[in-house]
Amino acid sequence: MKIGQPEKFIIDGKRLDGRKPDEMREVKIQAGVLKRADGSALVEWGGNKVIAACYGPREVHPRHLAKSDKAILRCTYNMAPFSVSDRKRPGPDRRSVEISKVTRLALEPVIFTNLYPRTTIDVFIEVLQANAGTRCTGITAASVALADAGIPMRDLVPACAAGKVGGEVVLDLFDIEDNYGEADLPVALIPKNNEITLLQMDGNFTKKEFEKALDLAIQGCMKIYELQKGALRERYGGE
Amino acid sequence: MKDNLSRRMVIPGEVVAEGDVNLGSGVYREGDKVCASIMGLLEKRKSFVKVIPLTGRYIPKVGDFVIGKVTDVNLTHWYVDINSAYNAILNPRDYFRDIDAFQTSLLKILAPGDMIFAVVREITPTKKVYIAMTNRGARLLRGGRLLTINPAKVPRVIGRKSSMISMIKKEVKCSILVGQNGRIWIKGKPELVEIAVKAIKRIEREAHLSGLTDSIKSMIIEEREKL
Repeated sequence: MKIGQPEKFIIDGKRLDGRKPDEMREVKIQAGVLKRADGSALVEWGGNKVIAACYGPREVHPRHLAKSDKAILRCTYNMAPFSVSDRKRPGPDRRSVEISKVTRLALEPVIFTNLYPRTTIDVFIEVLQANAGTRCTGITAASVALADAGIPMRDLVPACAAGKVGGEVVLDLFDIEDNYGEADLPVALIPKNNEITLLQMDGNFTKKEFEKALDLAIQGCMKIYELQKGALRERYGGE
Repeated sequence: MKDNLSRRMVIPGEVVAEGDVNLGSGVYREGDKVCASIMGLLEKRKSFVKVIPLTGRYIPKVGDFVIGKVTDVNLTHWYVDINSAYNAILNPRDYFRDIDAFQTSLLKILAPGDMIFAVVREITPTKKVYIAMTNRGARLLRGGRLLTINPAKVPRVIGRKSSMISMIKKEVKCSILVGQNGRIWIKGKPELVEIAVKAIKRIEREAHLSGLTDSIKSMIIEEREKL
């Protein structure tokens, strides 16, 4: 057993932070928080706090990256040095480069890039505070920021993770569960046609557990989707 | 603005119509359904749907009047920044007076930094934007004050049949030019220009509210009395 690992993850059907296995942390989404960006969003997801900013469509620099028939999408995921309990060394690392890439792949299918050839759409995701599940929080924030910037897209992209702790499949891990749990499964999807745009797995599931976890994560995504829509409506006085 | 209230706000992905309708901007077809692709207000008529954007960058359209800034000059044309993803090109033959590009240096006519009021003449399939100054009203802007607002809010600043902008012009006695790209040029007495700027900024902030023309008018009159 690792240091700091709790003896039991689930006591009397309740998790360490008092949630039920299929319960999500509290999520708060706010659109249009930054003045200088074309679109922005702040997502507070339990202990996570993530800001996403979107610029574009705009001119591509360096020029050679531009595609003559469509816009390119560039995503940057970055963690603030103060986002975790030990200071994180600032700057890109292997992990943030990977998350930037999967974020791009998760968002690209919904954007009508063919409308704006020779341009770029830039998305910056800044993690201010991390508490497991920042990539899902980031994708959720980024898609709200894209919609807030008025970029044509097929649908919003909500993301949510499921995992396995203490032998049980649970929704939306928080940091202790993420660090000492058995598996983590972040999922992003396009709710319109249930197309999955992000699926990663850290740890091991049996086939049955995997299916259950995926179902759970999709349900979580749908809840996030409603919150995303609510945040965008609220931006213009709510209706 | 009665029908403004009936316009529903839609979010990307929302189904806005079904079956056989003509599509305007901001919507796309998926199978039998028509969905919104941008956040905005839904405008739906018998056989036509479109979404009026609430935010977004300026995308050039042929015939739009824009306020541009000359950024670069070469032997045969000017490059003009029009506050969009695409730089515009101005050819000497599209300038309002005859120029022999072989005889005179273009730099002497328009230099980088000059502001111009021009019209979008042509957009090629590869999204090269050509602007022209041959139209009536196109000109070089001298002096005055420049204001940049969100391009999606420009129609509101102009108002229906330019009711809003002509009201502001009348009330503050300034000459005002509005570019579709979100740039607004105002020239007049400095204190009156200040009021116009205030009014336009308020329109940008409250663009989604109805009955704006009247409240802006009373605001301008109030401000004017303070002088």
